[in-house]
Parts: sequence; C-alpha cells; structure tokens
Amino acid sequence: MPLLSADSRRDMEIRSYPLLVYALVPLASLVLQAWLPRVVGRYDWFDLPLVITVYFALGRRSPIQGTIMGAGMGLFEDALSHHAIGVNGIAKTMVGFLAASVGIRIEVENQIVRLMLNFSLSLLSSVIYFFTYRFLLGLALEWSWLTELMRAVGNSLIAIVLFPLLDRLQMRE
Amino acid sequence: MESFFVRYRNLVVLLAILMAQIAGLAVQVRRSSTGTNTLDPSDPSGVRLIRLWGNAIISPPERLIHGTKIGLGALWTDYINLRHVRDENQDLKKTVDRLRLEQAALLEDARQGQRLQALLGFQEKYIYTTVAAQAYGSSGSDYSHVFYIDKGAHDGLKPDMAVITADGIVGKVRDVFLHTAQVLAVNDATSGAGVILETTRIRGILKGDAVGHLEVVGVTADQRIQPGEKVLTAGGDLIFPRGLPVGVVERVVRDPDRDSFIDILVKPAAHLERLDEVLVITSTEPRFSPQEQQDLATSAAEQNAVPTAIKDQMKASEIMGEKLPGLIDPNLPPDQQPLHDTSNPNPAPPPPQPLHADEFSPGAATTPGAGTDTERAPKPQTTKPAVPHAAEDNGGPPQPAEVSKPQTTPQRNP
Repeated sequence: MPLLSADSRRDMEIRSYPLLVYALVPLASLVLQAWLPRVVGRYDWFDLPLVITVYFALGRRSPIQGTIMGAGMGLFEDALSHHAIGVNGIAKTMVGFLAASVGIRIEVENQIVRLMLNFSLSLLSSVIYFFTYRFLLGLALEWSWLTELMRAVGNSLIAIVLFPLLDRLQMRE
Repeated sequence: MESFFVRYRNLVVLLAILMAQIAGLAVQVRRSSTGTNTLDPSDPSGVRLIRLWGNAIISPPERLIHGTKIGLGALWTDYINLRHVRDENQDLKKTVDRLRLEQAALLEDARQGQRLQALLGFQEKYIYTTVAAQAYGSSGSDYSHVFYIDKGAHDGLKPDMAVITADGIVGKVRDVFLHTAQVLAVNDATSGAGVILETTRIRGILKGDAVGHLEVVGVTADQRIQPGEKVLTAGGDLIFPRGLPVGVVERVVRDPDRDSFIDILVKPAAHLERLDEVLVITSTEPRFSPQEQQDLATSAAEQNAVPTAIKDQMKASEIMGEKLPGLIDPNLPPDQQPLHDTSNPNPAPPPPQPLHADEFSPGAATTPGAGTDTERAPKPQTTKPAVPHAAEDNGGPPQPAEVSKPQTTPQRNP
C-alpha cells in the first residue's frame, strides 16, 4: 500500500464532479437503499449510502466534506427508520471523516485498496452504531455480527463495481 | 486562537457535528420507571420534522421507481404475455361458478355466527372497513423493519392501526404523514402482538429477532406445541382483531435467558419481505347492515322470550311438586312426616348408629355442648318444603338451590 508524504498531498488529484452528481448520486443511493430490499427481499447485503460516502470522501480527500456528507447520509437513513435519529449519523460521520483522512495519505486507485477500505470502514461503521446504541444511549438492540460481516463483504463487492462507474462522472480538466 | 481553528478545522468540524448529533440523541431517549432507557415513542417535534423531510425527499422518487416497476410488470402481464389466457379464462369461470355456490352457503353461516355472537354480548371486534395501500419502500436497514405505504392521514390512517394482507398480519401503522405512512412490521425486534396457538390455546407475545425472524416469547415449556400448529392473533393487544392468521410453528427452542421458558419460531403467513398490496384496518367497530340489524332485533326478541319459557317450566314443576308426596310436610308433626310412613312395604333403611358418636356423626349438631341427637335435629318449622312454592308464596323468585337444603339426614334420625 503506497504511503504518500505530506508534501505530495498538494500534488494529488482532487476529484471534482458536476454539481448534479453531488446531489443525485447520494439521493439515488438513499432511494435504492430504501427500495431495493423490498425487491430482493433482503436488508443485510449492502449499505449503499455508506459506499457512496466512502467514495466521495476518498475522491474529494477533504475530511470536512467527508464528515458533512457522512452526517447527511446517516441522518437521512435514520429518518427513514423508526430508531433514534443520529445513530447512523454518528457512524457515517466518523466513516466520512476517516475515509477522507485515509484518502489523503494513501493511494486509493487500486481496487484491492478500495475493497479493503470499504470492508474495514463498513465494519467500523457497524461497531460505532453498536457502541452508540448499546452503550451511549443504553438501549437494547438485537445484534448479529454475522450480518455485519456479510454487509461488509457486500459493500466491498459493490464498491469494486460501482467506483469505476462513478469515476467516469468526474470532471476532467 | 484563529490559527488553532484553522489548523484543526477538520477536527473542530467533526467534533461539532458529533456533539450536535449526540445532543439530538439525548432528547430522544427517556429513562423508564424500571431504570432502563427507552426511545421516546412519541417523536419530539424536531425529530418528527426530520422524519418528515426525509420522507418528503425520498418518497417521491421511490414511489416513481416503484410505480414504474409495477407499470412495466403490468405491461408485460396485460399486453405481452397473454399466452394460455383463453384456457385460463375458462377455468376461472368454472371456479367462479363453484365459489358462488360455496359463498351462498358460507354467507348464511357467517350471518348466523354474527347474530349469535352479538346475542352473547361478544366483545371481540370485527374488521369492517379497510383501506388498500401499496407498500413501496423500506427503512433500508435490517435493524428497523419498517416499510412505507402510499396512504396517509389524508386517507384516514392513524397510528396503531393494524396492517394485514389476505394471508395474515403484517404490522401496525407507526407514523402517519399526509399521503404516506410508516408501518412497523411484526418481525421487528421492537414490535409486539398478542398471539394464541390454535389447538393448544397457549398464549404468547409475537416479536422479531435480530435477523427479522418471527418468534413467540413468554411461553412456558409445553410438550404439546408441535411444528405445523397455526398461530393466530389473540385480540388482546387492542391493535389486531382476534383470529387473524399469523403463521405456523416452525420449531421450538429454549429461551436462552429464562430456563423454564421457550421461544416458538414462527413461519409468517404473509410474505413480510416482499409485500406489495396491504390492507389497513381503519375501523373495527361492529356495524351491521339494515337486514342484519333486523335479524338481530328478531333474535333479541327471541332471547327475551327465553326467561318466560323458563318461568313457565318452573311453574309447571311447582304444580307437579304439590301433587307429589314431599319428604317433609310442615303442617304435620315430626312423627307423622312422610318418611315415617309405615305403609311403604320397602322403606329406606336408617343409617347405622355410630359406636362413638361425635360431631361428624350423621345428625350431630354443629353446636358444641348441644344435647341429645334428637335435640340437635333441626326443627321442622325451620325446614322448607321439597318444592319451591314456599319461596314464591313470599313473593320472591323461585330458588331451586334452597330446595335441596331440607333433604337432610337429621329428619331420618329416630
């Protein structure tokens, strides 16, 4: 995994996208996340808003933007559920921040790197969700780590397919 | 100071956003009387506003996608894939004819059942009005088994209304917006419904587990519970009417937390993960058609006629009782009572005398220190005749329970 020095950060490409992409892609991920489970009959295979958060955080390499995007996506997911609003928000805020922070330091074009990043960040999101719900709020929660593992694998596989497609949407100078 | 914020702006923004969300979470959690934390069931206004925004932004494109999918499906099934339709139509016509005959018979049974239940003051509720709705979206999270339907407050929906399909129960309305509503599915871990097993009549609470499987909890271990038994709603939760299908028992496992309890895993009757059309029960108050009301009035009049018939029977028995020889005649002295009648060639033998009489011996008085057995025996004036006419003479209703009191053994004592 190639590490980048602090000086090379300035020289790295910061991806930019048309404004419509910033609006429509996250919205599409939220809509599909809410709609697809009713079609495929399963909830636990993927978390598209998380994948999109990781993608934009890595591409933009801005922790602030990653944080805000993660918070927004998480809050929308919470709003659609019947759970407390903010649990997913906190988890994805942290994921967005960390993904952008990692994106500054390592080269993320490699598919293996993307796969590993998505896998680990998905698990981290689950851990933060669990910690927030169970310990911070003190609420009872039925939990399955196997489900979280499956979701992490699903997110990684989706990222491998989706990231190259989204790369095509970036603006070239 | 400025340089600090500039230097650590990323961390400052992160902490600010995290703190804002933690503060928002603190508003939503309440400390219950049992000392455990619970989510406030009634969302605070700010939280409800966020849910409203989320729903307003996500729902329209979601409904559009779902509508497109249904439209394409209808296009395929209605216009393109029409093979074997003629044969199928013939079969369906035959089925309709057969079902009409069956329906006529069942309708009579149903009307009779409703009349009888109404006459008995049956308090259970029926489903009378429902609103059909289309399920189009979900929460997207397996920790929140909720889904959205395309009917809301505008269509008369309110929180806690039951949602069902033709196959079985599905959930209850949790949050109602103007044109949409959020439904909490029965397989959610926070859901709960009172259920009863059809044959063993064992009751329990239906809820979902971590992965969305249905289970009945709060049931003590019982060998009679077997896989395949039907599970129905018990009707005690004030949400689901009684007798709706829930599913069938899949298997029974021990409750990991409580030794003497078991968990019954249930295979749901409705396809909870792939719902399309659902029915929201908007009214369960009994309402009868004019014809049914007339039938009920007739039946009620018949019901009022029943006590009159009983009274007639009582009167007839009194007359018969007066004609038959009683065991005790209050107008005769004790030695001339019918039991002492020597004209009977086969009189009933008197009970054997105890060797050592005590208070439990036949004829012994309950009062300690009483005199002889004869003295302990009840006086004839205090007894009542074998027929209930004495009660009626006093103007009171006939009391058959008191009729048997005088037939006591002390009268047989010499």
